[in-house]
Amino acid sequence: MLARLRRPWSDRRAEFTLGAAACLVAVGIGLMILFVASRAWPTFSHEGLSWLGSGGNTDSQVGAMQSTSAHPPASAYYFRAWPLIYATLLTTGFAVLFGLAIALAASIFIVQFAPGPVHRIMKPVIRLLAAVPSVLYGLVGILVLVPFINNNLITAGDKSSVAYVVELTGTGLLVSVVILTLMITPIMTALITDALESVPRAWREGAIALGLNPLRATMTVSLRAIRPAIVGATALATARAIGEAIVLSMVSGGRAFTPKFQDGLIVLFEPLKPLAAEIVQQAENLSAPALRSSMYACALLLLFSSFVLSLAAYIVRIPMRRYQVSN
Amino acid sequence: MRRRRSVIAPVALIMTLAVTGTAMAAKTQTVLMSGATASYPLIELLTAKFTKVEKALKHHPVKVKFEVSQGGASVGIADVAAGNVNIGDSSRAPQSSDPTGLEFYPIAKYFVCVVTNTANPISNLTPTQVESIFEGKVRSWSQIPGSTQTGTIDVESRTSVAGVLTTFQNTLLAGGKVSSVATPWASEGLEQHAVESDPAAIGFLSDYFAVNNSINAVAYNGTACNVDNTVNGTYPGSADFYEVTLGPASGIEAKFINWIQTAKAAKKIIETSWIPLTGSNPPVAG
Repeated sequence: MLARLRRPWSDRRAEFTLGAAACLVAVGIGLMILFVASRAWPTFSHEGLSWLGSGGNTDSQVGAMQSTSAHPPASAYYFRAWPLIYATLLTTGFAVLFGLAIALAASIFIVQFAPGPVHRIMKPVIRLLAAVPSVLYGLVGILVLVPFINNNLITAGDKSSVAYVVELTGTGLLVSVVILTLMITPIMTALITDALESVPRAWREGAIALGLNPLRATMTVSLRAIRPAIVGATALATARAIGEAIVLSMVSGGRAFTPKFQDGLIVLFEPLKPLAAEIVQQAENLSAPALRSSMYACALLLLFSSFVLSLAAYIVRIPMRRYQVSN
Repeated sequence: MRRRRSVIAPVALIMTLAVTGTAMAAKTQTVLMSGATASYPLIELLTAKFTKVEKALKHHPVKVKFEVSQGGASVGIADVAAGNVNIGDSSRAPQSSDPTGLEFYPIAKYFVCVVTNTANPISNLTPTQVESIFEGKVRSWSQIPGSTQTGTIDVESRTSVAGVLTTFQNTLLAGGKVSSVATPWASEGLEQHAVESDPAAIGFLSDYFAVNNSINAVAYNGTACNVDNTVNGTYPGSADFYEVTLGPASGIEAKFINWIQTAKAAKKIIETSWIPLTGSNPPVAG
C-alpha cells in the first residue's frame, strides 16, 4: 500500500489534497472565531457595545465578577474595558512608532553602508534576535529595568504627588514601551532588510548616476520601492505587539489605570494594563460565567483588531502597486 | 529487489507495550488539588508525608500521587465546584458568593501579620494606624511615628482571589477594604518579595511567610504577631485553612482529610509553622 502511495500523484489528486489542507486551515480559523464569539455573546447581549467605554474601576469590576454565581443576573455583567483598550493602544502605538524608526535606520545601514564583515554578521544576528522567546524580554524587564527605574528615575516627589491615586513602582508605560520596541524591532529589521536587498541595483545606481548621494538615493528610490514591504512589516509587528501577553503582564504594572499625560513626565511611570495582560491574569479564574464572557469579549476584540490590521495593510498597499518590486 | 518487510508487526508490538504500560501505571491514584498560596507550603509537606505513609502500609499499600497547583483560595473553590480538581485548598471560610454544595473541612489555624521591610523596623501599629494606611487615607511614612522612612508608603496587597486578603480585611481592618492604591500581588511569595525589596513597603502575609529573619512582623495593638498569642486568643488576625470538596469527601480524598485531622504525624507537621486544631472539627457546608 505504501508503495502505491509513493508513485507520482496525478495533478488532480495533488490539487485536491493541497486544497483540502488550505481549506482546513481556513475552517480552523473560522471555527476559532465562532468559538470565541459564542463564549463572548453574553457580554454583548447584556452590555451591547458600551463595555468598550469607560466608567468606574475596571479592576474592581473584574474582582466583583469573580464572585458571581453560575447563573448571574444581568447586572453582574457590568464591565467597562476602556482603560485596557487605551493601555493597549498606548503601548502598541509607541512601540511600533519607535520600532519602525529604528528598523528603517538599521536596515538602511545594514544594506547600504555596512562594511562587508559587519553586513555578513548583522544579518543572521538580526534573525536570531527575532527568534528570541518573548518571556526572556519580560524577565530582563522585570529583573533589570524595573528596579533600575524605581531606584534611579522615580523621585520621592514623583511618588508623593500621585500617592493618593496610584503607586509608582518602576513598572509602567516606559518599561512596557521599551521592552515591546526591543521585541518587535528585530523582525521588522529582518523583513525590511530583505526587501531593500531585492530592489534592482539599476534603479539605485541610476539615481546615483544623476548626482544624488548614496543616502538620498536610498531614501528616494529604494525606500519608496519597498513601501509595501514596510507596511507589511509594520502590520506584522503591530499584531505581535497587540497580542503580547506574558511580557506585558510582568512589566506593565498590572493595574487597569489610564495614564494621564497631564501629569507630565510622571506618565511614563504610571501603571497600566493592556487587554492581553488582563486575559492572562484572569485565565485561571474563568469559572464564573460573567467573568468568562467578559474575557472572551476582550479576546474577540483582539481577534477583530488583527483582522482590521490585515485589512488596513491590504488597502494601504493597493495604490503602491505602481512602484512595486515585491508584493 | 528486496521486498519491504511489513511494518505492522513492530507497530502492533509497540502499541501493546504502551497500553499495558498505561494500564499498570493506572494503579496509582492521582489527586488533583488547587487553591490558596498561603496553605501551599503546608499542603506540600502533608501530601509528601501522606504518600509515604500510604506506600508503607503493611496491608494494601496504596500508591497516591498529588498534583497541587496554586492560584488563590477563590480559584481553588471555583475549581473544585467545576470538577476540575478533587480537593480545593482554601484559606478563608465559605462566603455567600461561593458555589453551593461544597464541604469545607478545617485542617489547621494560621494567622496574618502586618509586615514591613527590615530597613523600616516598626515595632507596633494601632488599629487606627493600620486602617488608615491600608485604606489609603495616610500616604506618607512621616505621619507614622516609629518609622525610619519619610517618603510615600508603598502598600502591597493581594489579588481579589486571595483568602488571606479576606482574613486580613475581616480581622485586622475590622471589615474595611484595602484601597485600590495598593499593588495587588498574585501570591504570598510575590508579596513577600515585594516587601523585602522595597524599604518603603508595607503589606500583610500569612504566618509561614511573615515569621522569618528577612522581614519585619509588626505587632498589632501591642500584641506581637506570633503562634503563642494566636493560641491564647490575644492576637485577633487568625483564620483556618480548609480542604474543600464537592459534596462530602469520599475515597482517597476522605482518607487524606481524615488523616490530616487525626494522625499524630500530621499534627507534628502542622506544628512546625502553624497551629493544629483541637477538639472535633465538623465540616462547614459551603
